[in-house]
Amino acid sequence: MEHKPIALLLAGIWGIVAILPLFFGSTNFIMHILIMCLIWSVVASCWDLIMGFAGIFSFGQVAFFVIGAYSSAILSAKFGIAPIFAVFCAGGIAAALGILVGLPCLKLKGAYIALVTFAVHMILEPVLKGTIGRALGTGGSRGILTIAPMKIFGFTFSSSNPVPYFYLMLLVAIICSAIIFIVIKSKWGTAFLALKDAEDFASCLGVSSYKYKLMVFALTSFLTGMIGGFYAHYIGMLSTRMLGIDLFVTLMIILVIGGVGKFPGAIIGAFITIAFNEMLSPIGPYRPIILGAMVVMLVLILPDGIVGLVEKLFPKKQHELTH
Amino acid sequence: MFIEIIDVIISGLINGSVYALMAVGLTLIYGVSKAFNFAYGSLYSLGGYIAFLLFSLAWINNYLLVFCLAAPILLVIGFFLEKLLVAPLRKRDDWEIKVMMITLGLALFLDNSFQVVFGARMKSLPTMLEGSFELGEFILSYQDVAIFIFSIGGILLFRWFLNNTRTGMSVRAVAQNPEGAQIVGIPKEFVFAATFAISTVMVGMGGILLAQKYFITPTGGWDILVKAWVITAFGGMGSIKGSLYAAFIVGMLEAFVGWHFGMTWTLIALFAVLLTTLAVRPQGLMGKWG
Amino acid sequence: MIKIQSLNAFYNDFHVLKDISLEVKKGQVVVILGPNGHGKSTFLKSICGLVDKITGKIFYDQEDITGLKSEKLVNKGITYIAENRELFPEMTVLENLKLGAYSKSARPHEKKNLEKVFSLFPRLAARKSQLASTMSGGEARMLAIARGLMSNAKFLAIDEPSLGLQPNLRNEVARIIKEINSQGITLLVVEQNTPRIMELADKFYVLEEGRISFEGSKEDALGNDHLKEIFLGI
Repeated sequence: MEHKPIALLLAGIWGIVAILPLFFGSTNFIMHILIMCLIWSVVASCWDLIMGFAGIFSFGQVAFFVIGAYSSAILSAKFGIAPIFAVFCAGGIAAALGILVGLPCLKLKGAYIALVTFAVHMILEPVLKGTIGRALGTGGSRGILTIAPMKIFGFTFSSSNPVPYFYLMLLVAIICSAIIFIVIKSKWGTAFLALKDAEDFASCLGVSSYKYKLMVFALTSFLTGMIGGFYAHYIGMLSTRMLGIDLFVTLMIILVIGGVGKFPGAIIGAFITIAFNEMLSPIGPYRPIILGAMVVMLVLILPDGIVGLVEKLFPKKQHELTH
Repeated sequence: MFIEIIDVIISGLINGSVYALMAVGLTLIYGVSKAFNFAYGSLYSLGGYIAFLLFSLAWINNYLLVFCLAAPILLVIGFFLEKLLVAPLRKRDDWEIKVMMITLGLALFLDNSFQVVFGARMKSLPTMLEGSFELGEFILSYQDVAIFIFSIGGILLFRWFLNNTRTGMSVRAVAQNPEGAQIVGIPKEFVFAATFAISTVMVGMGGILLAQKYFITPTGGWDILVKAWVITAFGGMGSIKGSLYAAFIVGMLEAFVGWHFGMTWTLIALFAVLLTTLAVRPQGLMGKWG
Repeated sequence: MIKIQSLNAFYNDFHVLKDISLEVKKGQVVVILGPNGHGKSTFLKSICGLVDKITGKIFYDQEDITGLKSEKLVNKGITYIAENRELFPEMTVLENLKLGAYSKSARPHEKKNLEKVFSLFPRLAARKSQLASTMSGGEARMLAIARGLMSNAKFLAIDEPSLGLQPNLRNEVARIIKEINSQGITLLVVEQNTPRIMELADKFYVLEEGRISFEGSKEDALGNDHLKEIFLGI
């Protein structure tokens, strides 16, 4: 996609989302879902940036989210750091770990990167539950039950009145999507495309794959960790259950619906998926079965997501967009 | 102390042999078609549940019969999974990531279907052989011996298949040179589906073999997926020989770390060894680039 | 035997072959000349079902075979022998040859063809159990040709069989091509710079920029100074 339609689409999406509280502001339940949509739209967009645009098969996105959430909760509880600063520190911690994970991935290819990043996800649970985690203050398998709510300039964002937190999250989501948009638009984005298409060729042209890969690891894990922090201070409790495969796949459905590498499709995907997921919650154990079946069907039927479908339905427009 | 170490070595060997069977299956799909199967662990559980169902039939009372019935069932399931889910994606430029996604969705679907159909509670299979060989303090259960023999037998059978049958040779041909395979008239699509089917049988058999020791649970396959994946990456993805060595190294490592530091450390130790290996050799022990 | 009508071939969106029409009669040796990168290999591959995007018509003994996949075509007796050999490196010479007889129509003749191939290439018989990856360039080329013969083909499309070989080996290749042809196999050969092979040709085509720019007999070709200099090396 050309950059201008992305910017227009982004403005359109956020514009619509911004007025939603006018209709649902009094229903806490719906506002809660909308906040979740905003949070997951950021995580999914980051994943899209690293996987869809940079072509790095990173499967550690949920792990960085959880790391950020735990870091922020622990920082505010143990060191008394105000939540609004703690979330940025949490982003920093996630970014540092992102670089650490990114380092061994520099020399690796495809499925190996998927393994190393997924490994972070897999060992996170035993680490958080085990002695190391308990020493850090993760609360072991019980998790963290009380997390200080977000407070800015003396104003406390409580989950019983979600509208203010919704606008805070909207602001954060807008800033994150703007950052991702700028990255895609910048010479980074061009470099990613070059690296994805022909890494050897790109490195001949002097595009340092190491530098760009590390930067994208750092940036996406920073944003993901930070939003994880915002999540923790909103929800007020954390456990390792987030590391279950359901959440991972839900995130993937967001990308599949939105379209991989079709930013801002991931944002649209997040709203559709999270809302749909909530609607499915009454059917209990059948919900993950339907989610799994949905991934399978969607990958087969809608391989480029909604954005891809729109491009296909209006091929003339797509021609304009790609040139 | 000495007896304990012997015990640890034996347990490492036995787990290693089953891991080898399963890792070879995973590396095979990757070597032949460059596809990565995220549902591999769920197919492991599927093997266990199929055996559980078979044993619940009145006329089935021994493992040989279960193997003979489960193998063709798994073969057919694997073949159609490839044809229906993976094959349609191959034409796409980004099919690698799409295959990972679709198999991950399949894994979620299968795991939770198991949970709904069989319940969350663990299921167990009868032991293959009762009794044990005892020499002083040293005890070796016949069950372990049987598991070892069956998995090694499975690997040898697979080796024979690769080297001596026409389909096996065509599998090797596609792995070594897909273009060359096409030139001599090997139907690539069939070979892709066949390898997927064979790997499904291998991991399903692993599931049946280990279920008698570790029970069957709806999500028990994830551990196996990660282990098989670590082993294949460690040995070099696509290299069968590499996977064989790596499986026994991992089996031993797991046994010793579990014995000395406790089971929670095994996964961490595995990844530590994997990362160190990949840092030195990004292509794994015996892998090749490309 | 093979009749091609306005064949077009594409790699992705790149239009490689443009409106090619050509005929090869049974028992003939037809040689295609032309500069590198002008679509000669693509042409052979399109006939043998190895190019996905083609338009036009290809007939084989009056049967329309356009768009059939290579596995079907090999079974019908149409085989491609690649210029870059495309062997199975981790397999022995014998295994490579056996895979050459993979198609259903070749299987019953595997033993007979193996004997035939070994008498044609005594070197391969001696190195039966050697891995293909350990063979020298010349031996590997012989193996590629031998593997093609194992398919029991009636029509062989051979891509630059003497490329990169020493002069004495080139003459050896020419001898083999003559021998193959005398056994009744129709040949379409992409070649340049090997006079011995040129001598065998019944007909020449020149492929330039994806089109046929010259068509004619040996005499016609020799009468054309441009061709004589550049391609025939005579």
